[in-house]
Amino acid sequence: MPQLDTSTWLTMIMSMFLVLFIIFQLKISKHNFYHNPELMTTKAPKQNTPWETKWTKIYLPLLLPL
Amino acid sequence: MNENLFASFITPMMLGLPLVTLIVLFPSLLFPTSNRLINNRLISLQQWILQLVSKQMMSIHNTKGQTWTLMLMSLILFIGSTNLLGLLPHSFTPTTQLSMNLGMAIPLWAGAVITGFRNKTKASLAHFLPQGTPTPLIPMLVIIETISLFIQPVALAVRLTANITAGHLLIHLIGGATLALMNINITTALITFIILILLTILEFAVAMIQAYVFTLLVSLYLHDNT
Repeated sequence: MPQLDTSTWLTMIMSMFLVLFIIFQLKISKHNFYHNPELMTTKAPKQNTPWETKWTKIYLPLLLPL
Repeated sequence: MNENLFASFITPMMLGLPLVTLIVLFPSLLFPTSNRLINNRLISLQQWILQLVSKQMMSIHNTKGQTWTLMLMSLILFIGSTNLLGLLPHSFTPTTQLSMNLGMAIPLWAGAVITGFRNKTKASLAHFLPQGTPTPLIPMLVIIETISLFIQPVALAVRLTANITAGHLLIHLIGGATLALMNINITTALITFIILILLTILEFAVAMIQAYVFTLLVSLYLHDNT
């Protein structure tokens, strides 16, 4: 059986090492598996009007506890 | 006839130069590197297959075992592509060489076992004794488990070699028989031809299954040891 002729075994194993452990792994490691794009909530942050930055009693008359 | 039959399994060397290295390198040409964000169809298809296979095979492992993903994925792609390319006429299949399969099986198995020994020594030694054995049987069972552990890499290599070699030999033999029968009796030659077609379909399946089995077993040995 020609597979049992050990003179070629070193060449065979060396070429396999090269291909399997180095080349294939380099090729596969370059694949980018990116996530699918997801929806982000697009609510803008609430901008304060100038009179809301300082609370004054007259600004919210309806909320006064009377 | 013996000489002719086994001639396709001789390692190809041209005047002492290792032609076999080029043959082993060839399947990696069929897997182009992905350079861009959106790749062409071939690379996207291979990436999709890779994702499918890695989800199927690596989901059973914990974090430590999943560090082996790159190794196992390149293993299954290498064996699968090499086996499938070997079904072309007059091609050389590297996985029919016992040397290469031993070179693949022994380091991977040894890596899994040594990882288990280093990180979970008690648990990996406990694999030698199945639960619930009656006390008098323990020495014999430890010997049997040790033998079955050490036979794992040899079995991996020989299984792959024998399956692919046997398949190729059968195709050669039945093809030769069909050719010889064509001059004698066309009907029998037709029947033999149909057998040849069925055998080739089987060999396609075997090519992919053997890759899968090899990788699955390595992954199982890994699972035991992480």
